[in-house]
Amino acid sequence: MSRSFAEFRRRTISSIMFALCAGGASLIIAILLLVIGYLVWIGVSSLSWDFLTTVPTGDVANPGGMRHAIDGTIILVALASAIGVPIGVLAGIYLAEYPGEHVATGPLRFLADVLTGVPSIVVGILGYELVVVPVSRWTHGSVSFSGYAGAAALAFIMIPIVARTTEEMLRLVPRSYREGSLALGATRAQTIFRVVLPGAFGGVATGIMLAMGRIAGETAPLLFTALGSRLLTHNPAEPFPSLTLQIYTYATGPYPEQKRLAWAGILVLLAMLFVVNLSIRIVASRHARMRMGA
Amino acid sequence: MPVSSLMTQPPASPKPQSEPPVVEMPPRKRAIIAVGATAGGSALAGGQYPVIDAIKRGETPEPRRHESVMGVPSVLDIRDFQLWYGQNKALHGINMPIAEGKITSIIGPSGCGKSTLLRSVNRLNDLVDGVRTAGTIALQGEDVYARGVDVISLRKRLGMVFQKPNPFPMSIFENVVYALRISGERRKAVLGQACEKALRQAALWDEVKDRLKGSAMGLSGGQQQRLCIARAIVCEPQVLLLDEPCSALDPIATLRIEELILEIGQRYTVLIVTHNMQQAARVSDFTAFMYLGRLVEYGRTADIFQLPRLRETEDYVTGRFG
Repeated sequence: MSRSFAEFRRRTISSIMFALCAGGASLIIAILLLVIGYLVWIGVSSLSWDFLTTVPTGDVANPGGMRHAIDGTIILVALASAIGVPIGVLAGIYLAEYPGEHVATGPLRFLADVLTGVPSIVVGILGYELVVVPVSRWTHGSVSFSGYAGAAALAFIMIPIVARTTEEMLRLVPRSYREGSLALGATRAQTIFRVVLPGAFGGVATGIMLAMGRIAGETAPLLFTALGSRLLTHNPAEPFPSLTLQIYTYATGPYPEQKRLAWAGILVLLAMLFVVNLSIRIVASRHARMRMGA
Repeated sequence: MPVSSLMTQPPASPKPQSEPPVVEMPPRKRAIIAVGATAGGSALAGGQYPVIDAIKRGETPEPRRHESVMGVPSVLDIRDFQLWYGQNKALHGINMPIAEGKITSIIGPSGCGKSTLLRSVNRLNDLVDGVRTAGTIALQGEDVYARGVDVISLRKRLGMVFQKPNPFPMSIFENVVYALRISGERRKAVLGQACEKALRQAALWDEVKDRLKGSAMGLSGGQQQRLCIARAIVCEPQVLLLDEPCSALDPIATLRIEELILEIGQRYTVLIVTHNMQQAARVSDFTAFMYLGRLVEYGRTADIFQLPRLRETEDYVTGRFG
């Protein structure tokens, strides 16, 4: 009697726990579907070939497209990566491969973690104070808000993320690789760049793309640096457009036609992030296959 | 001269008439011990192994180095070598010459310092924090621990194969020619020839010649280890260091590696660490027995396994102790 009661109790608790877990998971999926569904519902109706290929007209009733902002985001992310990826990867190598040799790496790592958590608006203000204002002073105002300043702010966000993921991935590379290479008379630099880094390639590439996805969606760091623009420009020395800034401008403005464009812009931004994430998965699985030896 | 007879006939109880005179052990007492050992195995009480007991007390007794091993020309000469990991002394006054062109094996229970000694030769222990050394290891007359020695070029003169096969995550071809690449060799023809030669010497060529561009990670464990041997001999090292090269392999792969070691031993000086005594007996010309960081006995493999001068060695190689 008591035995079957114990069993009943056990089964009941088990079912309740299962229901709670399944409920939590369904809630997340439901919210995600709701958001994406709503976006697609509103965004698709405003999405058109013109949206992707034309620039703002200045006419609030017929506001044109967002080609300038799409190009701007791509260029900003590329510029920021050109600055942030080498610095981040090298910093990650330093943290993983030269621990405690010159500078204590513990505080350095802590610093990188703190930087990862710095609110992006702070990075924007820093970019304004440290890049926009001095550059404007040097050039007597001919360059002030610019794509370069925006890219610098984005790179600043990128560096600690790339550094920490690179470090973690390098640590996963077996010690036997390093010993094998050193025993053959390789220098440490040769060992790192010929054996260790290629061995961690998939992980490092994943970290870089995650960081690219993260900065592609940032608005705050660009507010006081790139500023945004309604013109199609590929010159980063000028005030520079980005999807996020354009969405912000349209979405907070009073004109319904522009609000519709903001929705379409969000859809395009999400699609770009989706593509980035998909390529992460492809790179990671290819890398895994290479490591497994197929 | 490998003791191939031991393959089929593992060393049984030693024949009393062939025993050399042992100063510490009167023959009568010894016979009694032998009976005890056959009956109870590890039933031996303390005091039966004076050398081991002295080592356990922290002393470093003079090892039994057979005359046969001291007379041969050596490529590597280890003189009064000592090593500390921080406060821990791992090697105590090791003195042993390594015969040129021969296969020398180092045996001993786990933690006796055999791998440490091997990794001291190519200074791989430098990577460990807090390692200090004293004494010398001379490679062709030059102390590898002398001030100003270029460790990189020293390691280029030595080849090493590790316990676990560690091919790099790149193609088979790039694995083999790695040592040439890092020395700046770029000529395709030179790399190709060196790759084929090393793979043939490592008895792997026929199995991989059609997939040289394929990933090395796709090979079986035994193939990977032979690839690592090819990688280690591509620059024709003066000494090939093998650190328990078969301990991660199945018996058939082990057999192939052992055959390979015998063949490679005709071209190179080989120093092999193994915890498998039959392996030492099968492949090596000379054998050193180590215990707790000391060299205990060192001589021709045949003598170590059939005519050891110490009771400790005899009981260790026959599996009665250790």
